[in-house]
Amino acid sequence: MLNEQSLQYYLNQAQKLEKKSNSKQIKIGVISSYTITGLAETLQVKCAENNINCKYYVGGYNQYSQEIISQDSALYKFTPDIVFLLLDTRSLFGNIFYDPYSLNFEERKLFVKEKFEEIENLINIFSKNSNSKLIISNLTIPSYSSFGINETKQEYGFHEMISSLNLKLNLSFREKNNIHIFDFNSFISKYGQKNIFNFKNFLFGDIQIIFDYIPYLAHELLPYINAFLGMTKKCIVLDLDNTLWGGIIGEDGFEKIQLGPEPPGNAYYEFQKFLRVLKQQGIILAINSKNNLEDALKVIQEHPYMILKEEDFSCLKINWSDKVKNLKEISKELNIGLDSIVFFDDDKINCEYVNVSLPQVKVVNLSGDPSFFSEILQNMNDFDSLKITNEDLKRTQMYSEQIKRDELKDSSISLNDFLKNLDINVTIKKSDTFLIPRISQLTLKTNQFNLTTKRYQEEDIQRLTNDPNFLVGCAQIEDKFGDSGITGVFIVNKKNSNEWYLDSFLLSCRIMGREIEKSFIVYIINEAKKNNIEKIIAEYIPTQKNKPSKNFLSECGFLKHNDKWIYDVSHSLKLPEFLSVRVENE
Amino acid sequence: MNNKLINLISKVMNISPEEINDESGPLNVENWTSFNSYVLLYELEKEFNQKFTMDEAMDVKSVADIKRHLKNHGIQFD
Repeated sequence: MLNEQSLQYYLNQAQKLEKKSNSKQIKIGVISSYTITGLAETLQVKCAENNINCKYYVGGYNQYSQEIISQDSALYKFTPDIVFLLLDTRSLFGNIFYDPYSLNFEERKLFVKEKFEEIENLINIFSKNSNSKLIISNLTIPSYSSFGINETKQEYGFHEMISSLNLKLNLSFREKNNIHIFDFNSFISKYGQKNIFNFKNFLFGDIQIIFDYIPYLAHELLPYINAFLGMTKKCIVLDLDNTLWGGIIGEDGFEKIQLGPEPPGNAYYEFQKFLRVLKQQGIILAINSKNNLEDALKVIQEHPYMILKEEDFSCLKINWSDKVKNLKEISKELNIGLDSIVFFDDDKINCEYVNVSLPQVKVVNLSGDPSFFSEILQNMNDFDSLKITNEDLKRTQMYSEQIKRDELKDSSISLNDFLKNLDINVTIKKSDTFLIPRISQLTLKTNQFNLTTKRYQEEDIQRLTNDPNFLVGCAQIEDKFGDSGITGVFIVNKKNSNEWYLDSFLLSCRIMGREIEKSFIVYIINEAKKNNIEKIIAEYIPTQKNKPSKNFLSECGFLKHNDKWIYDVSHSLKLPEFLSVRVENE
Repeated sequence: MNNKLINLISKVMNISPEEINDESGPLNVENWTSFNSYVLLYELEKEFNQKFTMDEAMDVKSVADIKRHLKNHGIQFD
């Protein structure tokens, strides 16, 4: 089980926090129907551990409706990025919580409908008054029922009323990008009502979550913040011996390693199944193991109970090199930052070595009992994003294709020949409803080739797409190895009839180094020409990570003027001959 | 035992141990809010491995009251 620090620890740490200048920023609001003091402080400390500066506003006790309804409430004045709204069944249901069967079947249905409409109404008002994301907890189903063992025999009984309300919340807000339902009921199930709630605390101060469980709740809410800031981990790098199977292949041999449906090998078998699910959701898997390549590959390719297959790994570093060196190479080959990587190893020294040498990498020490591996993985809150896109689901395949492209790069004579051999097709698309989630995701996640690093939530992209003063587009890239999906984004602010401003311009790291960015800058220049624009103004806003885009503007013929870059539209920019570009719907 | 109690109160109320005496309580310590008094009760129960009744909890108006209730639970102070 996850072992959290006490709430007291977090409250003390919160007092000692110092603001770091290079951190990401987040503003959170917490409003609730019960006493939830300590949650915001805990989130603040957990954010600081991830190098995020978190400011918070906590609404008054049970003032959530007023905070939402009043347009000039302190909550709105605080202009939060994310608001957590925590509701409890007891206060929402009032007397019906104690006596649900004072209503007949029809009345119970009507009651739930009315309660749902109350919440829906509040959410709609919130959406009108604020651009913030709203995370609402669903309702806990108490284990108690006055009907005891007969509760499950009641048609639309007390427990079913609550489940039905929870289901309505899920269904109604599934398509809304700014509203997320937090499964608080599952949180209570996970840690247990008996541990989290007791009557003394409840009667004493309407404390419905015992203090030391507040940090566990914060742990479950943190992924919303990380995902909002685009800080989700992208890749799991795994050791092999005593991590994906029990024993040491080089010593125990193929037949003796522990892996399969029976104990003790089932601990590894189960762990691999959970890893495979993460892979299917778009987390990249890679191997970093000290072994003879042939020994290890034989297991991966031929062991009957190996759940993860060779093609599930986007990168294999099975050698006798230093693990830190291997991790650096994995980061380079997959073109992802070290801070996007989680490293799993059973060897404490390796873990420590990576921790010290590459502090950006999150290290998970698997030196303990392998029967806990699956639980350790399930308790990690690093992989969630606010939306899973098609590109996420295809990611491993796309990275494997990338490795093949790199192999071709090694055997080609010149870079130009290599690129010609790739048969790169670029399709430029204007933003539409289907593309908005991916465009937003790219603005949130892309760090390296990104001129301005402006982050846009889906609602922002939606707004810019509908605004005639903006041109929002993206590029889909295909080559002979496959479809890389939507991997480039541009946003142009059509400032006036003379000049356009390049608000955002970015390219996923996966496809860097192929001059694909030229295809959409040429497109923008051509569009500007058509509209009789004289100048395109651009900016390079340096960050710690966007060096790869530093020279792009000068290479394209933009001239530096103070801190801006200006392109004279009467000039022409040539498209690289190895790119075939098509503009959709033209 | 006295030190253990004073250190605990100092941690919860975020004030230095020197500022705490038997008369300290919600009326004269700024950080002694109702929320912090819940946290203090919770931390006392954990630290001294005792359970306080609601009446005992409601009765706490000062450090002296805490000591009195802890003594009733068999905790000795020098």
